[in-house]
Amino acid sequence: MASMWILIIVAVVIVLLVLWAIALYNRLVKANVAVDEGFAQIEVQLQRRFDLIPNLVATVKGYAAHESGTFEAVTQARAYGEKATTVPEVAAADGMLTQALRGLLAVAENYPDLKASANFLSLQEELSATENKVSFARQFYNDSVRTLNTMIVTIPTKFFVGMAGVKAREFYEVPDAANRNAPTVSF
Amino acid sequence: MAVSFRAEQSANQRKTWLLLGLMFIAVIALVWAIASLFGLQIYWIVPLAVGISLIGVWTSYWKSDSLVLAMTKAKVIDHANAPQLFNIVEEVCVAAGLPMPKVAIVDDPAPNAFATGRNPEHAVIAFTTGILKVMDREQLQGVAAHEMAHVGNRDTLVMAVAATTAGLLAIIADVGARVAIFGGGRNNNNSNNPIAAIVAIVILILAPIAALLLRASISRKRESLADATAVQFTRNPTGLRRALETLAADGSVVHQKSTSVAHVWIESPLDGKSKSMFDTHPPIGERIALLRQMEGAPPAGE
Repeated sequence: MASMWILIIVAVVIVLLVLWAIALYNRLVKANVAVDEGFAQIEVQLQRRFDLIPNLVATVKGYAAHESGTFEAVTQARAYGEKATTVPEVAAADGMLTQALRGLLAVAENYPDLKASANFLSLQEELSATENKVSFARQFYNDSVRTLNTMIVTIPTKFFVGMAGVKAREFYEVPDAANRNAPTVSF
Repeated sequence: MAVSFRAEQSANQRKTWLLLGLMFIAVIALVWAIASLFGLQIYWIVPLAVGISLIGVWTSYWKSDSLVLAMTKAKVIDHANAPQLFNIVEEVCVAAGLPMPKVAIVDDPAPNAFATGRNPEHAVIAFTTGILKVMDREQLQGVAAHEMAHVGNRDTLVMAVAATTAGLLAIIADVGARVAIFGGGRNNNNSNNPIAAIVAIVILILAPIAALLLRASISRKRESLADATAVQFTRNPTGLRRALETLAADGSVVHQKSTSVAHVWIESPLDGKSKSMFDTHPPIGERIALLRQMEGAPPAGE
């Protein structure tokens, strides 16, 4: 009888160990998926910002046609952003565009008629909401990367890294520190 | 002294589990009290009480989105009706990694907001017309983050569990009291142990009160947790702090005074000015002070 009990206990321990290993493996895979989703979300929000630009540029142009340098910077940054694929490239383009949009809004400050127009006001709200979404998407992505990267170097998840086939991921860092803040849009 | 929102979150999660555990212990104590007073013949009330409170609470939990919308006369809106509000909620969803809830507006001059729904896929968050009038964008973002925190933390579920347990205790104690009054002659095996009988009667009286206190306490912990989670979403304690200051300064309360929806509002329409153990929300001053600490700033008046 005693040997049967030992057998049962050993079997139970093995089953528990296997379940535990599966749980850890799944946690790693899920953390990895969360990073992918986080990056996809950044791209979605950046795309929304790209989509706002033609309208914004057209509106500002209506009042300030001669500020061509500013429009060019925005258009260039947008074109650069649409080609970017890797995390550092996308982040760099993101920073460039944020900078260019800040310039555009600074230009708008000089034109009271433009600032008062209903079209510009609603574009301004959409733009500031989109800037917030971009920055929250970055934050969510970086939190997901932090979670995954921590799991990769800490015990016990560390032991399952090879099996789950996950690698430490890159943080999304906007190159110029000043660009991390969304352009200030006043209400 | 700066306080981290992560430490606040885990402390409140831990306390919730502890309080739910205490409620469960109260159920066991009450069942023991009933059994020791009246013997085994009235054990049937336990499954009956479980059934009644489960059906009552869980149907309202399952239908919470449509029920609360109907009770508060909230109107679901889309982007075209209130672009800024809609944008703010979308932003917070991106920050939280949660699906976009239904957004609703309650026509009420008192500034307030609530969230409900059985899961993030069926969530509703609502704002009064009053809150949209008195708050700026940053404050509304703080409020939206607090409400989305309730959604993300599954507070409708947590409060449904607490309500079920409280209802269960009330029903068992009620039946116990009736049996004690009308069917007193039937108690059989414990007449020779007066101390056990007294303890059992005390439990019978105190258990439902304890359940209400624990339920209120859980609600307060979930509010504190939602404040901390809101900061996790926006990383901006200032917005929510300024929003709560506006709410504290505003004396008006929403017209819905029904207890069944009281706990869902960001500022309780029921809690009085003085602090009470039955409050569903922590005192607003304490919430503001804690958010100030998360900002790394000293509490007001220092």
